[in-house]
Amino acid sequence: MLKIIYGDIDSDNYIFDPDTFFNHQYKVEWFKDTRVVEMIKDVDKSHVIKDRLIESPALGMISPERLSGGVKTLILIDKKDSYIFNASACGDNCAKWLLDIGKEKDITVRLGYLMDFGREDFEIEIMNTGRIVHTLKELDDEVIDNNLLV
Amino acid sequence: MTGKYDIRVYDSNISYHLEVKRNITILQGNSASGKSELVRMVSDYNRAGISSGVTIVCDKKCIVVGNSDNWKEILELQHDRIIFIDENNSFIKTKEFAEIVNKADNYFVLIYRDSLSQLSYSVEEIYGLRETRDTQKYHEAQKVYNEMYKIYNLEEYAPIKPELVITEDSNSGDVNISKIAEQLPKLIEV
Repeated sequence: MLKIIYGDIDSDNYIFDPDTFFNHQYKVEWFKDTRVVEMIKDVDKSHVIKDRLIESPALGMISPERLSGGVKTLILIDKKDSYIFNASACGDNCAKWLLDIGKEKDITVRLGYLMDFGREDFEIEIMNTGRIVHTLKELDDEVIDNNLLV
Repeated sequence: MTGKYDIRVYDSNISYHLEVKRNITILQGNSASGKSELVRMVSDYNRAGISSGVTIVCDKKCIVVGNSDNWKEILELQHDRIIFIDENNSFIKTKEFAEIVNKADNYFVLIYRDSLSQLSYSVEEIYGLRETRDTQKYHEAQKVYNEMYKIYNLEEYAPIKPELVITEDSNSGDVNISKIAEQLPKLIEV
């Protein structure tokens, strides 16, 4: 399940800057994984050509270091699940992938804004209150009513 | 520093057009919309000037300030500049940063999705970046052009035509809706 901690967080395994963390921690074999390839295609509109080579429509041939902060964070959440990553580096266009990864395994991320998880039902645990929510309205109400973003 | 400033940042592949009007402009929006690439290009220009291959056209000097032990000292030395700060800088949320911003005569462009409750900024100065394909304005087909758009656009509205408006009673609710209908005929037709 996708578990979210809203607001500030103080934990030894919390990574505030997933962009830089990715640059120093990514592994070449990750780019053979189907979900990684699909996430890069969907979020960055880019294609994994081979190993460290990615074709971006705007930037041409790029290395993984030049992927967007959002897709880097998604890949880390999928591949390094012993850490808590700052998912505020992800825009709304990453939400469906967070839910997708969360359907397969338990992942915990930190968020500092109200990400749009769409109109379909989902299952997200808000770690601050322990409540499991199933719709965007339920989630937004829980975050706002409990003042979790301050 | 007051007023409105046009900023054009471009190289042979990508072009950005921004307009900043107040001391704090926030850039948010989807991942992969080019926010960090914009900061990278401004940073390259800061480091190497025209040798970077990046061109910046703006009446004010544009600079990038990033995480370092002496970010406070660096910011306090800046005057009359447009300062870009990317989201991977943890100091953005600090009280010290807010104090520097409040005292500064600089404009700040902050790439940040989280709420920044210690800073005073207008909801109208929160923008996203989007690719534009306006061939009237932009002629190089190979190039990707990006421009700002308001994330919370308070000026746009969608006309609605309710078939029926039910008010609580004939007093305040009814008077209120009738007045709104009179003053905003395009918005509501009762």
